[in-house]
Amino acid sequence: MVPAKRESLITQMRRGTLEYCVLALLRDQPRYGFDLVRTLGAADGLVTSEGTIYPLLGRLRRDGLVTTTWHESPSGPPRRYYELTAEGRRALALFTTEWDRFTGAVDRLLRQGGSS
Amino acid sequence: MTTEVDALILRYLQDLEGQLQDLPAGRRRELLDEVGEHITAARADLDPETEAGVRSLLERLGDPADIAAEARDRLGVQARPVRPSTPWLEIATIVLLVIPFLGWVLGAVLVWLSRLWTTRDKLVGTVGGLAWVLGGLGTVMAGRPGSPVGQPGVDVATTGPNPLEVILAVAPFVLPLAAAIYLGLRLRGQAGAPATTR
Repeated sequence: MVPAKRESLITQMRRGTLEYCVLALLRDQPRYGFDLVRTLGAADGLVTSEGTIYPLLGRLRRDGLVTTTWHESPSGPPRRYYELTAEGRRALALFTTEWDRFTGAVDRLLRQGGSS
Repeated sequence: MTTEVDALILRYLQDLEGQLQDLPAGRRRELLDEVGEHITAARADLDPETEAGVRSLLERLGDPADIAAEARDRLGVQARPVRPSTPWLEIATIVLLVIPFLGWVLGAVLVWLSRLWTTRDKLVGTVGGLAWVLGGLGTVMAGRPGSPVGQPGVDVATTGPNPLEVILAVAPFVLPLAAAIYLGLRLRGQAGAPATTR
């Protein structure tokens, strides 16, 4: 496949899923920005420039899915932690259900070509 | 060494701030704070802190233009070049076309300076603005002695005005108005779309 095409394909897929990956990372504990971004960055192909996560976090906060609180840091200045709201939890649960159904259907089609 | 690294970071944040100009001030501040905090945390993670290490952390953060593009996209701000500005030149042209004589002439000239109207639109504006020339010429021709070659014995005065003369007399006033309305409608059609030339 042409590299440019591959790039745009990944961009398209990342587009709709990245925000739920962020919500998923916050499910079990609040995280501060750098920690969140580095963890996301470790997942292959999810983040190309780390800084683009911050506009996304701003959007999630505006939509009431995430809030921020300040916590002391063991070293250096206090840190801004991002945590899920109840609404964020609901959005993540809904996405998880739909995602399972969606990927299941796509997987079946990709493997069998819909021949059965 | 530290000052050099500080200068690098400062330049990065200033660049980002410049790129975020069209964001609401609150959002811009917040984003700059968050990226600043990210850099502080990332620096604390470097051991030891080297210039190469800081350069690489800024590189991982990404091009400020990319972050700004993402911010416009996620936070619903339109990119600046697409935002249409008020087309003052076009509005002035339309207004002039409605003012007899001097306005018509100026309108017919100004219409050619616009970058929003097409050549066809400009021709319509010119015909509208200069309709009085055609009307004047036509009236002169029609009113030339000897031209009413009516049947002998029929008095021209009693047959009423010649329809052609009426058209020629009215056209200089109606055509500019029609052209102004047409240009106004064309302008409204253009308003949402970005100009083809910047």
